[in-house]
Amino acid sequence: MLKIQNLSVSYHDHRVLHDVSFDVKNGEVLVLIGPNGAGKSTIIRAASGVIPSTGHIRTNGDDFASLSPLQRAHYLAVVPQAISLPPAFTVWETVLMGRTPYLGFLGHASSFDDELARQALSTVNALAFSARPVGELSGGEAQRILLARALCQSTPILLLDEPTAHLDLQYQVSLLELIRELAHTENLAVLVAMHDLNLAARYADRVALLVGGHLKAIGTPREVLTTESISHAYCLPVQVVEHPFMDAPLVLPKSTR
Amino acid sequence: MRKPFLASFLVLLIAFILSLAFGSVFISHKELWGILRGIGDETFSFIIWQIRLPRTILVALTGAALSGSGAAYQGLFRNPLADPFLIGVASGAGLGAVIAMSIQWPYSFWGLMAIPMAAFITALLTVFIVYMIARVGQTIPTTNLILAGVAFSSFATSLTSFLMLRSTSEVRRALGWLLGGASQAGWAAILAMLPYLVMGLGILLFSGYRLNLLQFGDDQAQQLGLNVTRTKTILLVAASLATAAAVAFSGIIGFIGLIVPHLMRLWFGGDYRRLIPLSIIGGASALLTSDIIARIVLAPQEIPVGIITALVGAPFFLWVLRRAKNQGYW
Amino acid sequence: MFRKTFLLIVLITLLLAGCGPDALSGEAPASAAITLTDGLGRSVILNEAAKRVVSLAPSNTEILFAVGAREQVIGRDEFSDYPAEAASIESVGGSMGEYSVEAIVALKPDLVLAAEINSPELVKQLEDLGLTVYYLANPSTLEELYVNLEIVAQLTGEDPTKLTDSLKARVDAVDEKIMPLSFHPSVFYEIDATDPSKPYTYGPGTFGDLLITRAGGFNIGGELTDPYPQISLEQIVVSNPSIIVLGDSMWGVTIESVVARPGWETIEAVKSSQIFPIDDNLISRPGPRLVDGLEQLAKLLHPGLFE
Repeated sequence: MLKIQNLSVSYHDHRVLHDVSFDVKNGEVLVLIGPNGAGKSTIIRAASGVIPSTGHIRTNGDDFASLSPLQRAHYLAVVPQAISLPPAFTVWETVLMGRTPYLGFLGHASSFDDELARQALSTVNALAFSARPVGELSGGEAQRILLARALCQSTPILLLDEPTAHLDLQYQVSLLELIRELAHTENLAVLVAMHDLNLAARYADRVALLVGGHLKAIGTPREVLTTESISHAYCLPVQVVEHPFMDAPLVLPKSTR
Repeated sequence: MRKPFLASFLVLLIAFILSLAFGSVFISHKELWGILRGIGDETFSFIIWQIRLPRTILVALTGAALSGSGAAYQGLFRNPLADPFLIGVASGAGLGAVIAMSIQWPYSFWGLMAIPMAAFITALLTVFIVYMIARVGQTIPTTNLILAGVAFSSFATSLTSFLMLRSTSEVRRALGWLLGGASQAGWAAILAMLPYLVMGLGILLFSGYRLNLLQFGDDQAQQLGLNVTRTKTILLVAASLATAAAVAFSGIIGFIGLIVPHLMRLWFGGDYRRLIPLSIIGGASALLTSDIIARIVLAPQEIPVGIITALVGAPFFLWVLRRAKNQGYW
Repeated sequence: MFRKTFLLIVLITLLLAGCGPDALSGEAPASAAITLTDGLGRSVILNEAAKRVVSLAPSNTEILFAVGAREQVIGRDEFSDYPAEAASIESVGGSMGEYSVEAIVALKPDLVLAAEINSPELVKQLEDLGLTVYYLANPSTLEELYVNLEIVAQLTGEDPTKLTDSLKARVDAVDEKIMPLSFHPSVFYEIDATDPSKPYTYGPGTFGDLLITRAGGFNIGGELTDPYPQISLEQIVVSNPSIIVLGDSMWGVTIESVVARPGWETIEAVKSSQIFPIDDNLISRPGPRLVDGLEQLAKLLHPGLFE
């Protein structure tokens, strides 16, 4: 369970996040949507502690502010965007780094750590190329590797920042299906920042709409993705209809004129 | 290569022996063996124990310090152009040395230690100042460090040049020091350097895994559990200590700290758990080789070793780079 | 945390530096034949006159030959080029400031003669290796030069009297003619003019300044503060020297090239073709040939008085 309370973030005296509060329950996928600059990635980064913020970020008991990065890494794992990974490491070595919070400072992995890494690679269907240098992978493969790394970090909370941004259609779908399945079967609290509204509608349990750093609406996809709210948020007339064969709303942008 | 450590140690051993063998008179390995056991020609024995052995050890330690720090800096800054002098250690040391040289110290142990001590202190002071300038709240952005380091280095170097121009009688001495050379050191210098080298390089040797994490960027490293600010600070301090100690007694020897880590990376990969120790060993070998060349090429003149490292090191590195099979090794 | 570490390091540095060996240990032998204090304040003791001497500076080599100790010189620095026979003596390095300590040790000298161009570190290193080193400081007057000649003679068991007497006589001859003069032509002495808008010259406290003055001239460089200052072309023009002496002629600078320099044509010395080359070694090397330099300058400045 991830509790965000009164989260505010400022860059150079400019407020980018205003007093945002919401929870991510165990076993659910909560997707953050909103226009660019609305603060989606900012929430992910603030929650993982890489940017300073005010407010509280908690799990069941502990306030993250009181934890060291190492302690926080036991609770929370992040899948960042898969851009420019260092070519010096293989897929296997990269995924194994997910075990960092549990290894000594020399980074020596035990057979238990190896087994977890293997399982994670298997889950994302990447075992076949575990010996390849990670700099040689395509966008889709690299993103799956980063997911595997986050998985073997064995945390109850998973944060994903634009995981489908550079992926082909089939990878987008398979990744989101995988995340949703993992959330439900492993009872993880999963927070995803995405800009694709229709993918969000299909795979989220709940959706949170952010505009200009403010949380405008939160609820099921049907509740949040309405014609008025989306038109308003994106400054573009849209029509929200019922998806023809999936149980989800479908957002159709209209012309600007 | 299957056994990089074995190969590296062998090369180091050979370089070490050659360094003891060459000089104004060639001493063969048989004679060396005799001398090390306590028997052998008296003059040769004296030359080995009092001149060549301390010099060889000093050169090896210096090369090890510069290359180990260079590898750490390259990992820390994620920049292939990083070398141990990036944030001002060399320019700071040079300034301290030249200031000390313009003062007439009494001829005593302390008086003669004044220059290396001044160089050491100003080197660390420079890193400290650069660190403070670059610091933003709780973080130390690497770009800030590089910029502050480069700016401060320029400042220190110009000041040094100015001082050298003002006291032209000391220019030769200052130039000799700045170009690098271990010729005027003995066992005392080794003893003085050793604690800082051991501390600095020791910390770096254990930091390989953390450097690996840093290659993914500050954000990802922190998300995986690393205290990035603390790690960077410790790495900076350790690398700067080792470099400052080396520079204080050997002057400014460029290129070794930049090239040896790249060579090791080309041959053995970019995992810092291996790269740091291999750079340390490789650096010792490389500088020993350069020093041997510096001694024999124009004998009895001794060319400052910093000139050899660039003249010989650069073409060698370019040749290796061209032959490298794996693209994008960085 | 960084601050504390830094302070700790400084403390450790100071502590460790104190654990070094003491440099001034040495026992006086039972009967000390020659005991002197050298230019670094070191006490130098020789049991008997030195028979195997290594010279670390060209000036020392010249002095050694001049006092008659040529047989004793077994090693010299790379720059020692006078007299010509010095070239046949073994070199121990020193061109870029780096001497081969091994070469010095291998020659087994009983005396190493260092000069001010050698660093105290080199002296210490040689001392630590068990060699006897005498550091001959630069003289600041001709009288001090004679003292240096006597010191070297004493160290090598030679008699300097003939030399010093002859030198003093020659200097007296110059003084005699120069002292009564009231006219002192102004002189610009050029050490280096790689940048002709700011050439290097001799300032106060240098032998160049001393000799020019003693030779009856007025050194325009003497008005500046640094010993080896750069003087601007403007200042040269304002001072308008009547004589230019080219100390850099041995590096290939010709009279024609000076005349051709833009902006120099207004200088008196250029207009009246009073530009003369000179061997700078006679002016800058602290050895007996300084007297040669004095004589040559006197002839240049007052040609009518000297044949």
